[in-house]
Amino acid sequence: MAELLLDPNIRCWVFLPIVVITFLVGIVRHYVSLLITTQKKAEITQIQDSQVMLRARALREHGKYLPKQSFLMRRHFFNNEETGYFKTQTRAAPAQNPMTDPSMLVDMLKGNVTNVLPMIIIGGWINWMFSGFVTTKVPFPLTLRFKPMLQRGVELVSLDAAWVSSASWYFLNVFGLRSIYALVLGENNAADQSKITQDQMSGAAMAMPLDPKAAFKAEWEALEICEHSWTLSNIEAELLESADFKFETAEEQNHM
Amino acid sequence: MNLTEARTILRRWREENVRKSQSVVDIYETVVGPKIHKLGDEKYLVLEQVTVAAFDCHRMELARQCLGQLSNAFPGSIRVRLLHVLGLQAAENYDVAKDVLDSIIQADPTNPLPKKHEIAMFIALGKNQLAIRMLTEYLKRFMADQEAWQELSSLYLIEQDYAKAAFCAEELILHDPHSHLLHQYLAEIRYTQGGFENLELARTHYCAAIKLNPNNMRALYGLLLTVTNIIGSPKCTATKRKEATKLQTWVSKLIQNRYKNVSGNKDVKAVEGLFSSLQISSVSSSSSLSGSKSTSPRALKDKNSDSL
Repeated sequence: MAELLLDPNIRCWVFLPIVVITFLVGIVRHYVSLLITTQKKAEITQIQDSQVMLRARALREHGKYLPKQSFLMRRHFFNNEETGYFKTQTRAAPAQNPMTDPSMLVDMLKGNVTNVLPMIIIGGWINWMFSGFVTTKVPFPLTLRFKPMLQRGVELVSLDAAWVSSASWYFLNVFGLRSIYALVLGENNAADQSKITQDQMSGAAMAMPLDPKAAFKAEWEALEICEHSWTLSNIEAELLESADFKFETAEEQNHM
Repeated sequence: MNLTEARTILRRWREENVRKSQSVVDIYETVVGPKIHKLGDEKYLVLEQVTVAAFDCHRMELARQCLGQLSNAFPGSIRVRLLHVLGLQAAENYDVAKDVLDSIIQADPTNPLPKKHEIAMFIALGKNQLAIRMLTEYLKRFMADQEAWQELSSLYLIEQDYAKAAFCAEELILHDPHSHLLHQYLAEIRYTQGGFENLELARTHYCAAIKLNPNNMRALYGLLLTVTNIIGSPKCTATKRKEATKLQTWVSKLIQNRYKNVSGNKDVKAVEGLFSSLQISSVSSSSSLSGSKSTSPRALKDKNSDSL
């Protein structure tokens, strides 16, 4: 099959513009999303729940370092039938239907506005504007299966699968520019920094359980079956055993 | 010192929470200050650090300058408002500081920092009972906050409520069971509490501390005192007494050996003499010792105490 020769005008007026447009749209989208997203406020009960879970887990894992009485006292606090924390604290299950929660709805809308909408509009426009061009070629041979992926809009049976059409080039750019954005906008660029300063460390709330009720129940169960054996109960003997030997050698050295 | 060096030094102090306020202020005024714009986004972190340091040194004018820059950059930020509160506290305007803190807490109840500020203020003012009450309220919300447990523990110690202080210390051990200092801390509280069961607990935790760090001199001495007390206790059974005696000889040998290693043979005689007086006094007047022990857990922060 003879080599195709592309018009240099395609490079200047199709190939490069698509790269530039997708890149700029990505940057604009970044700043727009910074503008309209609101800080997610954590509820105090959510923080409390996650902290309780942390403490219960610490008790389960490290309770063996405390004497039995102290362990039982703490487990009683969590698990007692009438007054235990996990029994008395009732949390409403999270709303099953996100449509009932207006703040959720707004969040979804914002996600759509910044992500899906520009993709449809710009994608449609590019499809309309630059459709039907063969823009570039990948430098390795590909099988026929790749044709619908790389040659959208150019349905030619005889064209080699390594050629890329303009519409496909756009999609490759949309998904491939992420690392370039990270490079340009940076992980901790100006906008990011100020966000951190504004928003304080509500980091504890990040790890909040999705459904506190279920998490409480699981933790209750785990604590209930937790067997307490005090690891320090025999530590004096262990210490003497390990150290007696050390002493004798030290004394021998002294005699010599 | 050039800008890069100053920058790394400030960053290290910031990350390790070093309180070298005078040096921070000096570095800022001589090196960093004129070129602050060259730091980029780190500028604000440095400004915050300098503000705190300046308040600490009572350099109010400098602090106000830095604070002004910060509040221009981040109007309405809680972190900056907390710095304002710090200024009020430095000027001993405690009532106003409390009002501002209350308003911040009301605006964002999920933020632990203003609550801690308020509690710290009451501790500084000597209102221990109030601080304890607020701290327990705080801990109901933020149960996994080790700093707060530690602070509550030392507050209870000041109030001589040893059982509760021990509870807090146990909570600390739950979160970090491999720290010999925490075991030593709990053992000291148990020893101070007195009574045969508590002495046994103290012995166990001293042993744990020594096992984790055989060089912990304070724990070695503590163990010696505890074991001596156990031997002298009327509740002690014969087998337990035998074990305790074994432990006692072992510990005293260990301590003597350490002195030998550090200073040769000449001090050992003195230490032996010290031992005999220590043992007599510990049996006869454990109450007077408990008074001096009550302040000892402060040494937890002072890691040098076991460097002997």
